Order: sequence, then structure tokens, then C-alpha cells
Amino acid sequence: MLNELLEKLNKISAAVEKEFAAASSAAEIENAKVKFTGRNGSITALAPMMGKIPKEDKPAAGKAFNEAKALVAKCMEEAKERLGESASSAESVDVTLPGRKWPMGTQHPVTKTIDECCAIFRRMGFTVAAGPEIETVANCFDKLNAPIDHPSRDPKDTFYFDDGRLMRTQTSTVQIRTMLAQKPPIRIVSPGRCFRRDTPDATHGVHFHQIEGLYVDRHVTLADLKSTLKAFANEFFGEGVTIRMRPHFFPFTEPSAECDFSCVMCGGKGCRVCKNSGWLEILGCGMVNPNVLRNVDIDPEEWQGFAFGMGIERLTMLKYRIGDLRLFSENDFRFLKQF
Amino acid sequence: MKISLNWLKEYISFEGDPKALADSLTMAGLEVEEITERGKIPAGIVVGKILERTPHPNSDHLSICKVDSGKGVLQIVCGAPNCDAGKTVPLALEGTSFPDPEGGKPFVIKPCKLRGVESFGMMCSERELGLSEDHGGLMILPDELPAGMDFSQYVTPDTVYTVEITPNRPDWLSHWGVARDVGALLGGKRRFPDTSVPAVEGWESWNDLVEVRERELCPHYTARVIRGVKVGESPAWLKERLNAVGIRPINNIVDVTNFVMMELGEPLHAFDSRFLEGKKIVVRKAAEGEKIVALDGKEYTLDDSMLVIADKVKPVAIAGIMGGEYSGVMPDTQEVILESAYFLPSSIRATSRKLGLSSDSSYRFERGVDPEMIENASNRAAGLILKLAGGSLVSELVNVRSRPEERKRILCRFDKIRSLLGMNPSNEEMIDIFRKLGLLVSDITNDATCLVTVPGFRADIKEGADLAEEIARIYGLDKLPDIPVHATRILPYSADSYAKMEKLRQEFIAAGLCECVNGSFIDEKSALGDPSVAPEDLLKVNNPISPDFAVLRASLLPGMLATVKRNIFQKNTDLALFEIGHVFCANKAKFPEERDEIAVLLTGTRHPERYCAERTEQFDFFDLKGAVESILESRKIKNAVFEACTDARFVKGCAAKLLIGGKEAGVLGKVNEKLTKGMRLASPLFAAVFQADVLLEAETEKILYKELPSFPSTSRDVAFLAPLSLEHAAVTDFIRKAGVKYLTDVKIFDIFQGEQLGEGKKSMAYTLTFRCEDRTLTDEEVNKEHEKLRAKLAEGLGVELR
Repeated sequence: MLNELLEKLNKISAAVEKEFAAASSAAEIENAKVKFTGRNGSITALAPMMGKIPKEDKPAAGKAFNEAKALVAKCMEEAKERLGESASSAESVDVTLPGRKWPMGTQHPVTKTIDECCAIFRRMGFTVAAGPEIETVANCFDKLNAPIDHPSRDPKDTFYFDDGRLMRTQTSTVQIRTMLAQKPPIRIVSPGRCFRRDTPDATHGVHFHQIEGLYVDRHVTLADLKSTLKAFANEFFGEGVTIRMRPHFFPFTEPSAECDFSCVMCGGKGCRVCKNSGWLEILGCGMVNPNVLRNVDIDPEEWQGFAFGMGIERLTMLKYRIGDLRLFSENDFRFLKQF
Repeated sequence: MKISLNWLKEYISFEGDPKALADSLTMAGLEVEEITERGKIPAGIVVGKILERTPHPNSDHLSICKVDSGKGVLQIVCGAPNCDAGKTVPLALEGTSFPDPEGGKPFVIKPCKLRGVESFGMMCSERELGLSEDHGGLMILPDELPAGMDFSQYVTPDTVYTVEITPNRPDWLSHWGVARDVGALLGGKRRFPDTSVPAVEGWESWNDLVEVRERELCPHYTARVIRGVKVGESPAWLKERLNAVGIRPINNIVDVTNFVMMELGEPLHAFDSRFLEGKKIVVRKAAEGEKIVALDGKEYTLDDSMLVIADKVKPVAIAGIMGGEYSGVMPDTQEVILESAYFLPSSIRATSRKLGLSSDSSYRFERGVDPEMIENASNRAAGLILKLAGGSLVSELVNVRSRPEERKRILCRFDKIRSLLGMNPSNEEMIDIFRKLGLLVSDITNDATCLVTVPGFRADIKEGADLAEEIARIYGLDKLPDIPVHATRILPYSADSYAKMEKLRQEFIAAGLCECVNGSFIDEKSALGDPSVAPEDLLKVNNPISPDFAVLRASLLPGMLATVKRNIFQKNTDLALFEIGHVFCANKAKFPEERDEIAVLLTGTRHPERYCAERTEQFDFFDLKGAVESILESRKIKNAVFEACTDARFVKGCAAKLLIGGKEAGVLGKVNEKLTKGMRLASPLFAAVFQADVLLEAETEKILYKELPSFPSTSRDVAFLAPLSLEHAAVTDFIRKAGVKYLTDVKIFDIFQGEQLGEGKKSMAYTLTFRCEDRTLTDEEVNKEHEKLRAKLAEGLGVELR
């Protein structure tokens, strides 16, 4: 009885291999499977013989059955694999079609630059401080040592209110507020919006943004200022940028300097943007004028420090090579999407 | 200002590279903006002699000249008015190539026909040769020059620096002053010009010539009289000096005063004594409404704050700013009164600003001229006038002077300077620098301090920090060492007020919105275009730049609407925008004066970059609300509730306010058509406006880990027909309070309206999730609770279960 079963299964096994090897479509593979192990399949049909097998032969018979079924499964897998991609046309996607994006917004280049500057200065130990845009003459000019008839105070250049207050022309006002509120050491940067009475054009707007820094402690030097600015230049524009400081004049610092960065367009070789000088004027800086410290009740004999200030729009224009300031306030969606 | 290198070399020897000198000056704070080579004459220009001039038959303004070029006579058509026969002029021969100042193609002289007449060269004006701005006619040369001489031999090449002078350094507004810094930088001895004056011839009493009534505004006034001068053209050397620095030569007297101004920094003025009534100079304030016609030909009305130089009856000059038209030097002037004075800088600045009139003279006086140079300058000019215009001195220097201010003396502490700079110049190096700069050093004590006395030309040096700047400038900022940045933590990060704003901004960006930055100043009409803004909310400056920028924005909405409008005009129709910005309110009972607002605007298709059906899906109210909800959720803000509201900014029935802990945080909705008039919107516009402080200060849930459930949940659905007025929030609220056991979540999964449901009805369907903490619930338990809830819904809310 056992031998008869084994013989039949052997025959079927040979047929199984043949049948699946010949199958050339998913449907034929499916048909082959039905033919052997389906409800009326030839292997299924041998199942009743099991009942007639003597007890001692049953394990061997069961094993043969399982082997035959396993062969079907194995041949079917092989056939499927052999037919592979060509057979599974229902699953093919055009991977070049656009994906379904998870929309992300973009940051305006001006605030992007502000945030980047803040991040760089925070790493150097600065804290970001903020202050109001409507300010007093004292905070915007007097305490910053601006001479009483300094042109920047003129209503031709600065917006005034009836009550004598003004729209701040610089964020140095935040330095004054901070120094009045706390004693040194002080190490802050203050980004923000400022206002000057310029007729809007490609390089001037009614408002603009600045970031100013202040570091007052017992032993802060001009050399510390240079290191800070150099580190900023390299973080913001890249490692290759060099800086130079030129003596200059500002009422709120003494000594004062302008700081030039090597031209980020031509690498210092000379081009139209740097007017062939290889240098770009980026910021004004210096050691805080003793008068400014006295004005906020800090003793210049005990404390000294540096301050600097730069225009966010200028940095942004240089970084992204934007030629017209007006783009910043037009907010054209195609412009915004580029950042 | 312009500095001529040839002129500079009269006071200090310099043989190096002009470019290197420019760099040194720039690095010492005198920024050289431009270097121009003057007198670089192109090859091919010779001295020509005009032999004959005849009118051009076909032109009113052209002439036909025969010109001796030294190698034959050429016919040249010329448009200059002064191409008269007998004149000696510069002549560009065929082939001469003039470089284009803009860097373009050079201009090459070729034989050509001008209105039908042949021309073989060009006679040149000074401007064409780059020697001055004069283009009124041909440059006229001395007759002694032979025809055919190479013109470049006649011109001395020069280097001219255009420099930017900071307001603290009026001493640099002169060649002598710049020479001082060149000496300090490069070494070398300076030579002061000759200021000797010949003896007075004859003796007249001029004691009453000058009366200074305003000693405060004019602490020092000098005048002297020179008689018998002959006004004429200045010699070539003087004209060349002035032309090099961009000053137009006028006549020998005026040219000398300008020369001395550019040499020593002291502006001078020469009056013709014929026009001074009573031969008197009165330095006084103008009478209110007094008028004067200045040298620029314009009439100025003065007020009683302005200082004038007057004669017995009328003002003859606006002191320190400009002389009068009818009192200056004329071609027939014979007697001049030469003024050299010190005027109070603030007075000159105020008058100049009020009159809108400035000059080389006012530019110097308002910055402060050297009070110690007044007499020297007068002497220098008198000597030159006598040499160039003849005449003789008939008065001593009439000198009206208040007690001179004492020179400032500053205690210099060498260590403090080193500590400010972070550089280590030795005491000796510092003393050497002070001395080279003309500062006087004395009382050197203990190797620790010295006394620095500051002469009048450096009024900007007032204390130790100013001395440190001098050391930094001359010792060189390039010597600053490279030291590491020390990042000490001075304030806690929580003190960083900006960090919160940065985070908030990033959340809106993550929500898919693009950031805008709009202006703070807008026009009043647009500002009030936001119906939530009242006229008394608006803050106005006194001096707006134009009506378009008249008020400070009281809300972000108008600026954002304008941004949307501009974008629609550019065919950017699918917009997802936000702005975080400062807004202002004059009505402090309503809002603080300054606060930060957040505005979000959505219009157009939700996913313009997608295709198939998604291509056409438009933004709706729930996109806007969803963006806000995502942000509230990520901030873990507690107690946030949206409530339907009516607001003039939004369409009725499609507006909500956001309350956080009962406080209004903002509004959102579909923007009212009144606000979008003229915007050509293709699809509806949705907007939200939030108060940043309410969002930032909202109470948030503290993040504490919750144990993950150990047993599976089971869900059941419930669907029903409800009246249209039944709000989703009312349903969820009812279900949560219905006392259903094991209920952990209620979620809407379908809502629709349709004819088949009957009028005023909508279908709502919810998924309920049940879970027990300590075991798996049986179907029976869940079914029981589900049924209980169904019954309660039908009874309590009056809905028809489906």
C-alpha cells in the first residue's frame, strides 16, 4: 500500500517540476497549483489512501505527502521568481512622477539671516536681547554720545512723534536699555527693525534690519572684537573669508573702526561688487566710548567693552546675491519659495 | 574731498607707490575711495596754432579752422566758441586714442566729414583732456609754446585721491593736515609753507574796521586791507593745483583764498572794499527777515539766529557760508579786505541747514577749523596775493579775539591703552606716535603715564580713549593678534527673549507656510481697511516720508492683503503665507503700544504641485484651522477652544475666535469680500490673526511619560441624523459626559448633507474607542456600553440613530 502511494507521489512530483517550469504567466502558475494541491488536485486526491496505510507505515507516508506539497510550494516560488517583474505588471509605478510632497514653508531671507546671526553669536556666549521700536531721544541718541546737532537727529533723517519720541534709527537702543537694567558683565546681540527717513529705492528702504553686539567686562579688548568678528565672518560666509579693520569714527565708540570682509563674490581678487578693492564694507565697530558707559552709570575705569553693528539686508544680499532691496518687502511667492 | 599727491609733496617728501600710500592712509582711517591719474595725456596730442577761422557753410555753431600742427597745416572743423585765429591750443592728431572713462571702447580720432566739410583732427577742451571740468571752450595755451610740441610735456602728471573724511577730522580737510598723518605713518619731516608778510606800506588807522558783536559765535575775527591789486588770471601752477582738486579757477584773488583753504584748511573771504558802506565790518546776527543775494545768485531770507558779516547798513556775507553777490572781488577791484576767522561750528551748521546752503567753507567751519591757524592763513594768503596780484598792505592784521581756549591736556596711562587695544606697543613707541602726530608730550613719569597736550588742529582728542585710537591707527590695526573667542555663559538661555520667537516662526514654517516681511509704515486708508482698527488706534509720525507711509501699521492684515494682491497680479494664485511682526496701537486701553502679531493667509489650491484630482482641491476653512491646531498641539497648549463668532473682517458664518484659557488669542475665517475688493481672487481667501504674546504665554501641558496600554482596545461606530445646527463640539461634549464606561476616544469619521436626508438635516458618524486598563474587554461589555450611549444620544440630543 505504502509503495503504491510513494510511486504515485513520485510521478506527480516529476509532473510538478515539469508543469511549473513550463508556466509562463501568473495565471498558469496558479493553474498548476490548483492542479496539484487544489481541492481536486492530484496530490489532494491521494489523501484518502492514508486511511488504508498500516499504522507502522503512516509516518513514512505522511512524510512523503508533506514532501510533495513542499515541492509544489518550492516550484511555485521558483516560477514566480523566474517570471519576476514582467509578470507583476499590476505593481509597476512610474517612479519619475512627482511625489506627494509634505508641504514645508520657507523662511523670509531677512529673518533667516537674523536667526543665523543669532545662532552664531549665541555659540560665542552672547544672549539675544530685544527692545521697542518706538524710542526716546535719550536712548537713541543722547546716551549713545551722539552730538546734540548730529545730522542723524535731524527730522530730515529720523521719524519723530508729537511727544518727542522717535522711531529708533539703530538697535543700539537695546544696548542702552540692557546696560541700564543690569550691571556688567554684559554680552548681548540685538537684532531688529530700524527706521531712517530714506526714500525707498533699490538700496534704501524706510525700514531696515540691524544686528548689534555689545560685550562689556573687565578685560575685553579690541583684539577680542577682532576675533569675534573674524569668527562671525567665517561662520556666516565661509572659512575662506578674511577680515580687516580700518580706523573710522562713530560717536558711540572710541577707538572706532570699520570692518571689511574679503569680497565674497570674487574671493578678494577684485570685481564689480567690491569696486575692484577686494574688500566689502560690512560693519562698524569699536570700543564702547567711555561717555556711553558713564551715561548708563558704568564706571569706565572698571569696565570696558566692544560694540558692533551691521545691516541684515546687506548681509542677506551678499549671501544670496540679491541685487534689489525692494524684493524683500514685495514678498513675491516665487521669491519666498527660493529660501 | 580730493587730495593731489603733487601738492602733498610740497609739505612732505614721498617717493613711493601712490597706491601703497593710498592703502596706508585708508588703514589709518583716511579712506581713499578712488585714485585718479591726472594729466595722463594720450599719445598724439601736440601744441597747435590756429591760423584762420571761417564760418561753416552748413552750421551756425561750427567753424572751419586752419591749424598749424608743426608738421603742416590741417583743416579742422571745430564747435568751440573760442577757436579764434592766433590762439595756441592742444590738438589731437589723427590716430589719437582717448580711453573711455567708463571702460568702454576708446574714442579714436579719424579723418571725417562734419556737415559736409572734411576735418583732420580735434582741438581739445580741458575736460576732454581730463584736466578739469571745463568744457566751455578750447583749452588755451601760452603763445610761447611752439607748434608741434608734444603736449604731454606741458602737463605734469599727478595722482589725485578722492578721500572720505570722517566728521571728527576737520584737520584732514587740507593738504597740510593730510601731510601730518603721512609723516606720522611713513616718517619724514614736514615743511610748513611760507607765511611771511611784507611790511605795511604807509600807515592808516584801521582800528575801527571790525566790530564783532557776537563774541560767542565768532570768537576770533581778523581782517587786513590790501590796496592796489590787479585782478586777473591766476598763473598756470595755481590753476593746476585748484583744477586737480576740482575747484574752478576764477581770478587770482579768489584763487588764492581757495588755495589757502585747501592748503591749510582755513576758509578765507575777500571783500571789495568799495562795496562795504562806511568801510566797516560788523559781525552780528541777521535781523529777522533780512535778505541777502549770495554768490550763487540766489536770494536768502535770514532770521535772527544767523550770523552775518555786515557793513554799516547791510549784510555782505552769510558768515562762514557764502559771500554776497555784490561785495566780492570784481574784475576792476583794486582794494580787498581779506577775512580770516573762526566761527562757532554749531552756529554755522544750524544756519547752513536752515538755509539749505552749504559750501566748501561751511563744510570746514561746521566741523571746526584750527583756531590756531587763523592768523597764519591770513598771512599766507596776503603774501600770495601781493605776489600774484600786486598791491601793498595798508593795514596790520586787525585782530578781534576773545581769550583763546587753552589747549587740552590729557593724562595718558600707557597700560590702559594696551588693555583697551589688546596690543602691546611700548611706551616709547606710543610717545613717538604722539609726537609724530604733532601732539606735545611731557611729564613722563615712572614709565606709567605722560601728559599729552593737544594743539588746536585736533579738537577731537579729548580723553584717554582718543589717545588709544591714535595709537591704534598709527601702530596699525593689522597688528591686532588673533586670539581665541572665549564663550563664557553670562545670561541663562531663558533670558534670550528672541529664542521664543524663533521657535514660533519655525512652527509656522513647518506647517507649510511661507514667511513674509511687510513694512511698518503704511497709508492711513489701508491701515483702516482692517475693520478691527479704529482711527484712534493709529500712531502717526510728524514727518512721514509720503502719504503712502504715513501711519504705523495697527495690524498685519492690510500689509498681508497688499502682498496677496501683488502676488495675484503676478499670477501667483496659490498662496500659503504668514508673517510675524510688530504692530502698533495708540489706544493703550485696547492694546499695548507695541506688540507682535501673527497673520496667516491661504488662498488657491492646496497642493498646486500635485496632479490628478488633488490638483484642484482648494484651501478651505479647515486647512487654516488645521494649521493652527497643529501648532497648538505641538506646543501642548491646554484649554484651546474655537468658537463661532461674527467679525467684520470675515464672512458671516465662517469665522471663529480662538480662546486659550478663556483669553482671546486670535480670530480666523474666510475674508470678507469688502476687504478683497479689486484683488481679482480666483478662489476664496482665508485669514487668521493671532496675538503672539497669548500664544507664547499660554499654559502648556508639562510633558510626562504615560504608560503605554497593555490591553487592546475595541471600537464601535455610531451614526445619526442631526439638525444642521448641532455642532460637532456639542456631540463630543455630550458623549464624553454621558457616563459611558471604558470610553477612551471619540472621533468623527463622516459628515454629510443631502436631499435624501431631508431638509435641515445632516448625517454624522463617530468612531468610539473602548479600552480597559487591566484586561481585554469582552464583546458583551462593549456592546452594552455602546447600546447605552446610542440610547442616550437619541434621548439627550434628539438625533435619529441610523
